[in-house]
Amino acid sequence: MKNAGMESVGSAPAAPRVVTPIIPSRPAPSGDAPPETRAWAVAGLHCAACAEALGQQLAAVPGVRSARVGYAAGMAVVEAPAEVQAGLQAALPGFRLAPLTPASSAQLRRDEARALLWRLFVAGFCSMQIMMLAAPTYFAEGAEVPADLRQLLGLASWVLSWPVMLWSAQPFLAGAWRSLRTGRLGMDLPVALGAVATFVASSLALFDPSGRWGSELYFDSLTMFIAFLLAGRWVELKARHAAAAELARLLAEPEALAQRERPAGGVEAVKLEALAAGDVLRVALGETLPVDGELLDAPALLDESLLSGESRPVRHLPGATLLAGSLNLGAPLRLRARGAAGEGRAAALARQLQRALTERPQRPGLADKAAQAFLAGVLLLALLAGAVWSLIEPARALEVVCAVLIVSCPCAFALAAPAARVASHRRLAREGLLLQRLDALETLADIDTVLLDKTGTLTAPRASAQAQWPGAEAKLGAAAALAAWSRHPMAQAVARLGADATRWSAVEERPGQGLRGLDAEGKAWRLGADGAGGLGFGPEGESPWMRFALDEQARDDAPALVRALQAAGLRLRLLSGDAPSRVQALAAHLGLSEAQGGCSPEAKRAAVQAAQQAGARVLMVGDGLNDAPVLAQADASLAVVGAAPLAARAADALLLRGGLAAVPLLIRQARRTRAVTRQNLIWAAAYNLLALPLAVMGWLPPWAAGLGMALSSALVVGNALRLVRED
Amino acid sequence: MDILYLLVPVSVLLALAVLAVFAWALKSGQFEEVEEEGERILDEEASPPG
Repeated sequence: MKNAGMESVGSAPAAPRVVTPIIPSRPAPSGDAPPETRAWAVAGLHCAACAEALGQQLAAVPGVRSARVGYAAGMAVVEAPAEVQAGLQAALPGFRLAPLTPASSAQLRRDEARALLWRLFVAGFCSMQIMMLAAPTYFAEGAEVPADLRQLLGLASWVLSWPVMLWSAQPFLAGAWRSLRTGRLGMDLPVALGAVATFVASSLALFDPSGRWGSELYFDSLTMFIAFLLAGRWVELKARHAAAAELARLLAEPEALAQRERPAGGVEAVKLEALAAGDVLRVALGETLPVDGELLDAPALLDESLLSGESRPVRHLPGATLLAGSLNLGAPLRLRARGAAGEGRAAALARQLQRALTERPQRPGLADKAAQAFLAGVLLLALLAGAVWSLIEPARALEVVCAVLIVSCPCAFALAAPAARVASHRRLAREGLLLQRLDALETLADIDTVLLDKTGTLTAPRASAQAQWPGAEAKLGAAAALAAWSRHPMAQAVARLGADATRWSAVEERPGQGLRGLDAEGKAWRLGADGAGGLGFGPEGESPWMRFALDEQARDDAPALVRALQAAGLRLRLLSGDAPSRVQALAAHLGLSEAQGGCSPEAKRAAVQAAQQAGARVLMVGDGLNDAPVLAQADASLAVVGAAPLAARAADALLLRGGLAAVPLLIRQARRTRAVTRQNLIWAAAYNLLALPLAVMGWLPPWAAGLGMALSSALVVGNALRLVRED
Repeated sequence: MDILYLLVPVSVLLALAVLAVFAWALKSGQFEEVEEEGERILDEEASPPG
């Protein structure tokens, strides 16, 4: 029995691969309405197989270009024209969709939990009552109970079974109905068959004791096993919701501040909620627009793939309306806000989540087919057992069939890998790590080499200003104000020196070349590399007025990071575009034996490739704009906070807050996840091998079968929850 | 044992009543944020009695 999560367990290093960053291009939309990509929160995904089933259902809706569903986050990303999106809920009876804003997805989770709690209570409570009513018959086969009283007790049990069948069993019945309609075997089918068969046969036995079905009533077993199954689902739901809530909390932070211009001059950072219409905002290169607004001053270049599906940059002229969620690809721009953050914020959040959290199982076909084969086998086995028992001892045939149907638990297999991934995701989110690709956890467990970037990753830059002639230091504030337009670590270090109220316009920033802006008189100034490792600030075409020497301090947590990674048995290398002498000095300070300075982005990428060809699995930790191709080349990549979001796109994981200690944690967590997944799969296999023969032999009463199934799923989820704890 | 002819139906009705009460409790949000009530004592913003 294979599961999608098991592909690279203990596998040999794969053949070296050459990766070029892929720029997604979408075909021109056919038909009038352009498709938009929208993310939805989904309720009703109680296992990874449901997520797949929903994905297929969505893709089959006419008008939908593509659909991906993520089990861990309870999220669906659908590409379809607007009117199709509006009608999606109607096309999907079994699941509930809600817009993916933090408020509505939290509400959806609340509703889902409430519904399950209701069902669980009804089943649990009624089963206990029915057990009490059936208790007299447990002793000596109930021979001492008068017949009419026995009938009364049976009738009372029957009445109390109806709420359970009507409400509690609904998810299984609905799921079974859905699987019959779509022709796919789902794990709800055996459960539903067992439940319905037991209920019908017991009802017949109650009202016609001398009939074919005998006089044995199984209402107690029936309601009990439904209660146990729901309890298993409850455990799984809590784990999943906790992970989703943690993720929502993590993602709410990074873009929570916007740069607003003060009327008196200067820029302040404000929370998104405090923005109002008419505010003038600044959006740097690589930042996402927090609100809709009108573009001021200069043409802008934006990536609007969230909104239009087109990933080619779009150029807008001053006066155009820009939409929240677009990414600024060009010069820093000024924007007059059209309204408050609200909806626009949701769109930006959805965009991050969409890339981050929809899983793509590597071999969905295989796991799916195996599950279907397994279920078909179970149904067959149940039929066979029933046939054999009806010859040997017909009174017990129903009991055995029911036990076989209930006890087989494909859900333990289905949950083995996803439960572990979900738990790990939650733990990492707590430390400020966001996994952009959940299956990166598999690759991370294999990592044996770590390549570290220097600037901004291991070091924090510190700038000191030096005027080139007396009087030039008056320009310090202006230089810092210009530097504040960029998110580059070196520029930020200059900006920290104290920006004044100088207004800059037509500011342009080119990766690797620095900033250029026009001051109030229209004179062009540049702030860029001066060829000596620092920054120079001066009028365009003239020699610099001010020089900024950039000093780097190793971050406080850098030595500890190096030690921790070495202790984990990883090979470390330092790659940097900075001067070799400084790189060697830092390497010596940190205790790194391998370091290389003077690397261009292409040289870094080549170094990664060379290591891969030598058989290493490489994790690249970086941040700068120049690193995007390198991050894509590595087997796994991590972008450190302060990273320009453009680079963050290519990285498998983002370190949004917190210190460098998260890096060894990431690798440790990945290894633990793999171990737990393996344990879960072994348990699921062993359980089935043990329980099915017991059920066929008739040694497993139906309630025990239900208990077994629930315990097995609960165990898998519980084992996975160990990953959430500190190690 | 004749009393059972009364007690059994009554207990069924009682069980159904319990279900109804639980449904109301769930709907009115009694089961959300169970931890909050315990923490309210420590909350400095809540006004003291009297």
